[in-house]
Parts: sequence; C-alpha cells; structure tokens
Amino acid sequence: MFTNLFSSVESVLVVSLLLTPVVSGLLITLLKRKRIIETTTIISSSLILIQGLFLLPYILEKKTISIFDGTFYLDSLSAIMIITISLVGFLASLYSVNYMGRQYDKLIVDGKKLVRYYQGFNMFLFTMLLVPVSNNLGIMWIAIEATTLVSVLLIMLYTKQGSIEASWKYLLIATVGLSLALFGIIFFYYANSVYDNSFDSTHGMDWTNMVENAHYFDPNLVKFAFIFILVGFGTKAGLAPMHTWLPDAHSEAPSPISALLSGVLLNCAFYGLLRFHIISSHSIGPEFSNTLLIILGIISLGIAAASIYFQKDVKRMLAFSSIEHMGLISVSVGFGIFLGIYGALLHVINHAVVKSLLFFSSGSISQKYQTKSIADTSGIIKTMPVTGFMFLIGGLAIIGMPPFNIFMSEFLMLSSGFSSENFLASALVILFLVVIFASFGKHLLHMVFGNPKSEMKKEDLGKLSMLPMIILVSIIFIMGIYVPEPLQTLIEDATKIILVGGINS
Amino acid sequence: MSDLLLPTQIDLLHVSAVILLIATFGIVVRRGFSDWLHAYRYQTIILAGIVALIGFITSIWELYIVSALTLGIKAIIIPKVLFYVTKKLDSPIKLEMNPYVSLRISVIASALLVAMSYFMALQLPISSDETISVFLPVSFSLFFIGLFIIISRRKALSQIVGLLTIENGLFLFAVVVTHGFSLIIEIGLMADILVGVIVSSILLFRMSKTFDSIDIENLESLRDD
Repeated sequence: MFTNLFSSVESVLVVSLLLTPVVSGLLITLLKRKRIIETTTIISSSLILIQGLFLLPYILEKKTISIFDGTFYLDSLSAIMIITISLVGFLASLYSVNYMGRQYDKLIVDGKKLVRYYQGFNMFLFTMLLVPVSNNLGIMWIAIEATTLVSVLLIMLYTKQGSIEASWKYLLIATVGLSLALFGIIFFYYANSVYDNSFDSTHGMDWTNMVENAHYFDPNLVKFAFIFILVGFGTKAGLAPMHTWLPDAHSEAPSPISALLSGVLLNCAFYGLLRFHIISSHSIGPEFSNTLLIILGIISLGIAAASIYFQKDVKRMLAFSSIEHMGLISVSVGFGIFLGIYGALLHVINHAVVKSLLFFSSGSISQKYQTKSIADTSGIIKTMPVTGFMFLIGGLAIIGMPPFNIFMSEFLMLSSGFSSENFLASALVILFLVVIFASFGKHLLHMVFGNPKSEMKKEDLGKLSMLPMIILVSIIFIMGIYVPEPLQTLIEDATKIILVGGINS
Repeated sequence: MSDLLLPTQIDLLHVSAVILLIATFGIVVRRGFSDWLHAYRYQTIILAGIVALIGFITSIWELYIVSALTLGIKAIIIPKVLFYVTKKLDSPIKLEMNPYVSLRISVIASALLVAMSYFMALQLPISSDETISVFLPVSFSLFFIGLFIIISRRKALSQIVGLLTIENGLFLFAVVVTHGFSLIIEIGLMADILVGVIVSSILLFRMSKTFDSIDIENLESLRDD
C-alpha cells in the first residue's frame, strides 16, 4: 500500500491535502498561543488552497484520479468542490484572525474558546475535504455526518442561549436526516450486491462500481432508495421543507463559520446528492430524480422568497438566501440539459464566493452596530465606507444584478429551463426571483443608504478583514465578465459526468 | 441461504427480534432518565447478540468483530457517558414529568408504528431471505419509535436516547441487509456515534447551565415572526 503512496505526484497531493488540516489542528492543540494558532491556521488553509490548485491541472489532463486501490477517487466534480472549499476556507481563515480577535478583545471569547475555534475550523475543513475525495459512499456519509458534529461545536462557541438552541436543533435535524440518507445508501448497496454475485464488500460501496452496475439495479428499489437519499442529503443541503435548522444555525454561528456553512457545507451535501442522482440516472433514466429535484427546488425558492420578504435579521436573511440559491441549483440540475447543469455548477462557485463576501461584511457590520436587526442597521456607507461598498456589491450580486457573476449563472440556468421546455417551473422560478430581488433589494438599500440612527465614528473595522473581502469582490467582477479557461473546461467535464447518466451510456 | 437454516435457528431469530422490540418499548414506557439509559443498554446488548447470531448463520467472521464493537462502544461506553452526564446535571428532578404525548398514548402509538413497519417491509422489493424478513420490520420499528421519542418528549436527554434508538435501527438494518459492509465503515460509523454522543453531552451541559433545565421548551426563541 505504501509503495503506491508516492508513486505519483497527485496521490501525494491528495494525501497531504487531507493531512494538512489535521496536522495544523494538532499543532493548535499543542501551541495554544493566540498569535501562533492564528498563523498556523492561515498557513494550513493557504497550503490547502495551493495544493488544491496544483491538483487542478492533473484532473484537467487525466479527468479522473484514483488512488489507494480506488479508496480516493477524484474527477472534475470533486475538483470543483475542492476548489470551492479551499478558496472559501482560506479567505475565512484570513477573516477569522480579525473577527475573532475583536471578539477576543471584547471578552466575548476567551483564550480557551479561541483554541477550540481554530481546532474546530481546521477539523471542519478536513471533514469537508474528505467528502469529495472519497469514492466509498459509506465513507462519504461518515464525512458528511462528521461535518455536522464539528460544526455543531463551532456554532455553540459563544454558548449564548440562541447559539445553544440553534446547535441543538441543527444536531437533531441533521442527524435524523442523514440517518435517512444512510438508509438510502444501504438500499443502493443492496441493489448492487444483488446484481453482482462475485461481490467483495470493499468495493461494492464505491461510487465507480455502482455507476458501472447501475444499469442492472432493480428500478423500484432505486426509486425507493433515491427518495431516502433526497430527503437525507436534502436536509443537510438546506432544501425546503427540511430546511428548518438552517436559518438558526447560520445566523447564530460566528460570521466566518457562517460563510463556510452557507458557501461550502451546503454544497458538500448537495454533492452527495448529485453522486446518487448520477447513479439513479444511469439506472432508471434521469426523469425520476430530475422531477424530484425540480419540485424540492421550487419549494425552497418559494419559502425563501416569503421569508426574505418578512425578514428582520440580517444573517437570517442571508441564510434564507442560501436556501434560495440551493433551490435554484437543484432546479437547474433537474432541468437535465447541458446548459442547466453547467449553469448550476458555475452557480455553486459563484454563490460560495458572493455569500462569503456577504457574511464577512455583515459580520463586521454587526460588530460595529452591535445588532443583527435590519431596521437598526442603516447608513452603512456613511459609517463604514469600504465595508458598506463591498456589502452593496455582494448584495447586488446575490440578487442577480447584471455586471456580476451570479447574473451569468442565473441567466444560464433560466435559459436552460426554457430550452428544456419546463415552462411552469421556469415561470415559478422567475416569479420567486423577482420577489426576492425586490425584498432583498429593499432591505439592502435601507441598510446601505439609510440614515445612521446614532452618531457613529466613520471608520472601517480592521485592515486584515478587508483583504479577503477585496479578493472576493474582484473575483465577483472577473467572473461576471468571463469564466477563466481552465475553470470552464473543468465545469464542462463535470457537466458531462452528470449528463452521461441521461444517455444511459 | 434461507433453506439451510435449522428450525431452532429460525426460532432464535424470532425470539431475539421480539426481545429487541420489548427492550425498545422499555424506553417508551418509562419516565426516569436512568431508566431510559438502562433500557437502551439492554436494547444494544440484544442487538450485539443478534449481530453475532447473524454472523454465526452466515459464517462471516467480521460480524463477530462488529458485535464486539457494538457491545464495547454502544452498550458500555455510551451509557457510561450519558449516566455521568445525568449525574452531573444541575436540575434535581431527573424525570420526564409531562411529555407532549402521555405515556399511555405513546405505547399505543408505538404499537401502531410497529404494525406500520411490518406493512412497509412487505412493500419493499427486497428478497425474502429469512433473516431479512424477520429483522427488516424490526429495524424500521426502531427507527420510527426513535423518531417518535424525539418528537413526543420534553427533555433533551430523551431526544438523545431517541437518536440512539434510530441509530440502532439503522445499524440492524445495515447488518441484516448487507451482512456487514467493510469493517472500516463500521468502525467509522461507531466513531461517528461516539463523537455524536460526546458532542450532545457537551450541549446538554451547556443547556442546563444556561437555562437551568434541559427542557426543550426553552429552545423556541429563534423564529421568524
């Protein structure tokens, strides 16, 4: 086993990608000094980003990487997830230093909790990175469940009443939901084991093995199993009506963690769902899972639209906007044509970028205003000019204003809806998007351009917290104009992986 | 495989399934925190026995290891952790005083859930292997009863016990249907459950410190109105 370990560069890269956060978590446990643990986390997350970027050319060239006898399996779909996780992770670690530092100065967290925060941060990155690289669907499930456990600890960090309530609900709902997903996984495994008599249990649960055999699965069993999977991973991915934990958890977590939860974790769960969508499409054709994805997505959009309209809390509004965008991605995958899936995968990245920017800037804003209420937060542009400007950009981007990146992917997704002749679904999507545009826009304008309620010093908080936001804003602008060549190929390859199921090849 | 089973073995399967259900009802009918944990422990010990029995019938040696792990982690360590937590809780009353659904109705509801599970298991397109036909409905029952415990009780601890019951049902289902997937996944699952119990114990402590009780009625302030 260890002879193959160093046989190729990419296997070394994958292993060190996974080991980096673990090692840094251990170092933090040992070192404990504030400055040192901050630097360790930044170094580890930047190493993760660099390793992720180095993996990219290998995946672009070879399409798939399979190491350790197929224990780890990476294709373009995994690569998209790895890039998203490592990018948001890196920026969140930069932002954490300033944000958590200020909470530390305000005595909201003490040294012990800070150590716990950075340990949790690293372990959170590790568990999320484990999801896209594991081929064995059982291990993928274990990794997703582990993300729940780690993020519960991060959400309850402040141990306020609200955060305890949020983490309790999150723990219960996500665990019950994921146990349903495990039922589904076992059904798929059973379907596989019935077909394949020469069965060895190590590979029977591999995704690659299942996709190969999927054509021979019992169709009724696959339908049954996919419903379990959809409810299970859908709970974790924030699809309505299983979304009830999400606004609480995302609004009570520390802001950098909210960014990771909204921007990345939801996508990790959706990635799990996609993998089974592919198996099920190979087995019984894509219509069944496509319809279900469209229905759940539309419900999510509707609930998000209503909740954003009546929302009073900034971070809850952002959380509901995440439900909206997960719904949008799900609908658009459900449209089942190249354009739609391409748009959805592009949207995964775009949404992660924009939502992180919004959570970062709203974190600084609520630290300055000492409130999360929308009504009490007004005139940001006058009190914090730079942060206010970036919050405005993020807000305009998230509701789909033209020069920014989300507009691009939303346009692709909507036009795919019409060209795949899902007129009713597309009309509903447009209706809900318009409602969200108006209500989110109204809240946004009030927050940015209103009159500040009390006299406040005109000052932005923290130079270091500006850096990740500036990086994100420039990504938003660049991706709004064009998608870089390698990324384009990557998303195209990933789209083909999802779509091939449709042709039953 | 089913035609190779001796009549005594089939009897053993049935008897163990019934005992497992009785132990599960032990959680439903009792009020005390420690009663639940005892009932959970019995349930898990029987589960470990069933796993070993299936291991014996199918002669898959890995299932013996899984059974031993179940016994060690889920029947010994997890109840110990939870007993420790209940002992340390501040609130003097360690009883479920008035659950949302009274215990009498809970028993009837659970019985209906068991009946529903048997009905559901018949609908499934899964082969009628003897072990499967005996244990599939039982595992569904465990799942539904666990879910019912979660939504019908007021104390946070009973919700943890409900989750653990769900987990046991899931585990039984996995072992029966797949005859054990690879050992590494089983170990990962166990580790996940163990960490989950520890995390929820920490939360329980925090809850009783912040709210002076582990009543989940306190946890209703976050909502959109």
